[in-house]
Amino acid sequence: MANRCTQVLLILLALPALAVPLACLIYLLMRGLPGFDSSLFSLNFSSAGFDDKHSVIPQIMGSLALSVLSCLLALPLAIGLSLYNRLYAGPRSKLFMQHLLTSFQSIPPLVYGLFGLLIFVHFLGWGLSLAAGTIVLAMIILPVLTLNTIHAIERVPQDYTDAARALGMSASQIIWHVWRPRAWRSLLTGLFLAVARTLSETAPILFTATVFSGASWPDSLLSPVTSLQTHIFYLAQEAVDENTVARAWSSALVLVTLVTMFSVIAHLLNKRHIKHG
Amino acid sequence: MDKVTAATLADHAANSPKQAALVRKIRIEINGLSLKRAGRIILNRLNLSLANRGITAIIGPSGAGKSSLLRCMNGLVNDWQGEIIIDGVASKQWPCGADALRRHIGLIAQKPTVFPCSIAGNVLFGIRGKQRRQDNGELIESCLKQAALWDEVCDRLDHDAQTLSVGQQQRLCIARALAVKPAVILLDEPTASLDPRSKNKIEASLRGLATSMPVVVVSHDLDQVRRLGGHTLFMCDGKLIEQGNSETLLSTPQRVETREFFQWSMCDCPTDAEK
Repeated sequence: MANRCTQVLLILLALPALAVPLACLIYLLMRGLPGFDSSLFSLNFSSAGFDDKHSVIPQIMGSLALSVLSCLLALPLAIGLSLYNRLYAGPRSKLFMQHLLTSFQSIPPLVYGLFGLLIFVHFLGWGLSLAAGTIVLAMIILPVLTLNTIHAIERVPQDYTDAARALGMSASQIIWHVWRPRAWRSLLTGLFLAVARTLSETAPILFTATVFSGASWPDSLLSPVTSLQTHIFYLAQEAVDENTVARAWSSALVLVTLVTMFSVIAHLLNKRHIKHG
Repeated sequence: MDKVTAATLADHAANSPKQAALVRKIRIEINGLSLKRAGRIILNRLNLSLANRGITAIIGPSGAGKSSLLRCMNGLVNDWQGEIIIDGVASKQWPCGADALRRHIGLIAQKPTVFPCSIAGNVLFGIRGKQRRQDNGELIESCLKQAALWDEVCDRLDHDAQTLSVGQQQRLCIARALAVKPAVILLDEPTASLDPRSKNKIEASLRGLATSMPVVVVSHDLDQVRRLGGHTLFMCDGKLIEQGNSETLLSTPQRVETREFFQWSMCDCPTDAEK
């Protein structure tokens, strides 16, 4: 009887946690799906705009460019930091580094955005640009990516490392032949989660990289971009006619689909990682 | 205890002039070796000399510093005080660094660790660069034969090494260590938790190896030490207490600590591995 009560209580507690996002998703599908038409994904665009006729392809490309470039920038740094942590840092340095990274994770992205605005946009004079947005997003995901890589390397059994060291293998050989085959899947999982995270960030790129109209595909790293996140933000705030509001919902659905896609890939990789030990 | 100079060759190697000629000339001098871990003394100004032996067994109670001694010699542990001189060269100044030292002084751990790849891949695991890309069929065969494993795996070299039994995995680890051509092999309780048949096979392999290179074995099994013959060192509290011919030391120990240890061992006290 006591078990039954506990079970019911836990279900009651879990229900809101599941029901609220599920309700959001259903509502998003209801509002977003009717706006899905050929014009939404039309490749015939000159620049991004804000009416119900404009394609969201420039925004999708802008969001993906910011995400992929920031991950490409953060990944080598994360790998370098985690290898330093594993190979050379003493116990105190390791602990300090892990505390520091955890603290960095809890800094609101808005603060990174402000930092990027002051340093890259104003001080260095880059203006709103792909480069500034990329660096700020890379700064946001660097702690989470580094901690994930540290854990991925730590999960490689110590016996393997010891056996390889006893054979006289160098640090680089151990990294490549012992750690990489065991850790890459976990590392990739973290990378896809980081892409999903960058796709969810709005405030930092609003300050550093994106414009609302007049841009399609950036000519250089110093050109501004448009992104789905800021597009939705602007449409939701400024749109007055019904069709444009519907376009905002459709854009939101596209963004959620993209984020979900990367999360699902990460989940599948993680499942295979657990299966293969 | 003052520095003790060891005999020149292992008994069985010295018995045959041909075999003695095959024994690699290597001399390891350990002077005042000390090691601390978390404030605890693991090795206490240890003095020892190993020269061109066949098999040298190291026995002693748990926590005597036997495994740590092997790890210091192999270079896996580097924060020790004192001197380890190998063929006249201080190990910390070893040419080409610590990795080269570890290839020179092979170490096989108590727990067999095979990598998640084929049997042949495991044998060649420590070989990298140009040599890896050559045809290494003969090397694989010779290492597996020396480790007394060839007959059991010759028809399935491409099979996953993790499907082998624990005893076979341990012999594969020996073959893997031999593939990098070490001058001496150190084994840390290689037969702990193995069945008698696997023990016999590993002992046979060690006796074979000892004809061509010095073999140092940490063991808790006094019967095994007797069977392996050669030379035996007794360690306690990080110090070398006594050493001598295995048969003589096991039958007529001179020191009180050694006698007490043998009495304990006869009571079947648990080994490090069992703990």
